[in-house]
Amino acid sequence: MEEILCIRNLCKRYPSFALRNVSFAVEKGRIMGFVGRNGAGKTTTLKSIMNLVHPDSGEICFFGMELGDREQEIKQRIGYAAGGISYYHRRRIGDIIRVTKTFYSNWDDGVCGRYLEKFALHPEKRLTELSEGMKVKFNLTLALSHHAEFLILDEPTSGLDPVSREELLEIFLDLASQGVSILFSTHITSDLEKCADAVTYIRKGEIVASRPREDFTERYRLAAVRGELTAEQRKLAQGIRRGRDGQTALILREQEDRARQAGMDGITPADLETVIIHLEGGTL
Amino acid sequence: MSTLIKKEFTLTAAPLTYVFLAFAGMTMIPGYPVLVCGFFICLGIFYTFQFAREYNDVLFTALLPVRKRDVVRVRYLFVVCIQLLGVCVCGMLTILRMTALRDAQVYRTNPLMNANPAFLAYLLVIMLLFNLIFLGGFYRTAYYYGKPFVLFCVAAFAVVGLGETLHHIPGLTWLNDCEGAGVGRQLALLVAAVLIYAAGTLLSMKRSEERFEKLDL
Repeated sequence: MEEILCIRNLCKRYPSFALRNVSFAVEKGRIMGFVGRNGAGKTTTLKSIMNLVHPDSGEICFFGMELGDREQEIKQRIGYAAGGISYYHRRRIGDIIRVTKTFYSNWDDGVCGRYLEKFALHPEKRLTELSEGMKVKFNLTLALSHHAEFLILDEPTSGLDPVSREELLEIFLDLASQGVSILFSTHITSDLEKCADAVTYIRKGEIVASRPREDFTERYRLAAVRGELTAEQRKLAQGIRRGRDGQTALILREQEDRARQAGMDGITPADLETVIIHLEGGTL
Repeated sequence: MSTLIKKEFTLTAAPLTYVFLAFAGMTMIPGYPVLVCGFFICLGIFYTFQFAREYNDVLFTALLPVRKRDVVRVRYLFVVCIQLLGVCVCGMLTILRMTALRDAQVYRTNPLMNANPAFLAYLLVIMLLFNLIFLGGFYRTAYYYGKPFVLFCVAAFAVVGLGETLHHIPGLTWLNDCEGAGVGRQLALLVAAVLIYAAGTLLSMKRSEERFEKLDL
């Protein structure tokens, strides 16, 4: 399948944090969730992709073109929106749109109007009058109105109420069915369960896994035990969390039989959130 | 570039930047250190930088399909337009003071600097200091503007003080002439100031563009 975005060995070193050999790819018409806890490197990676941050090394290609060579052309074809950031908040929505549209050769007033209506955004309103969730919707409207083939969204669902989030995820699915690719970072793993085709998980600046969503969870099983895990059980655990009645351990699917032999009985499939929480927690 | 210019003047610019152009009218105040109007015009421009930071303008612009260096270039263009507009208004009022109002008693007995071509040259020096110190300092980070602005204030008032001092020094009294041979020398000074302003601003812009290209936003 055609790769829309390809990142290879992206490295960026700060005094207290480093991205190390970040590599993953997004395919055409696919939705990729980019997950990791706060400070894991999600935003730095997305900013590097948008050339806002300069990586120390590595390659970033969009549509088979190097970002450094064809930045303007690439930016005509992609959209970026970030939750929690609003631009020109004392200006009217209509004024921001009137100026922004002049930068995009593919800007579509009809699409823009439809999203404004869908999100109940009135052109006469100023951004300062909008809730955080509505500001996210406005950023998305700007990103969606120039027929972007690829959307990069940094925590777009943050601050949205459940209904708006659902609405947004449905829009993502609609766009993906039209061939638009989406890379979005989030903390809310249930969003990924609903719409992501693939998941890239970053921890402490390194990619732990980048694979189809089902594969991501299928690799693991969750074992619940009463009381403390034994030393043998702990050896099998990829991550351990404490519960009210005992402990839960994330184990690899292929070690399910060994886990049963070790006395772990309550073994169930693990969902995405469980996998990530356990992996982040380590083995206590 | 034209789209960026439109954005700069309509979306980014603080209304106060335009309002502060009215300080060019201080050129007409008799017995007042008229050079201060140059500082106020620059203060008006400073408000746009405050607005722009509050608006996340740098980030918004850098995300648009434009060359990164144009993000800096258009801001310099905006600043230069406002400065030259201010200088032009001051220039017209200077002509008014030197012609139709040249016999007005309040201007003839003015102990401070007169509005003349030397005044306009000093104004351009203040504007240039803004471009070198403030803009140059701001684009080291594209975020922090406090220290560069304080440094500019110190430099600008030093020029005001210098302008108000030099014409009292024997041999330099021609700097305050409003007629006669002194005006010719002042015009030469003004031409030199225009050239220095253009070269200095261009240099500052190039350096800021290079810095901005390397910045992590």
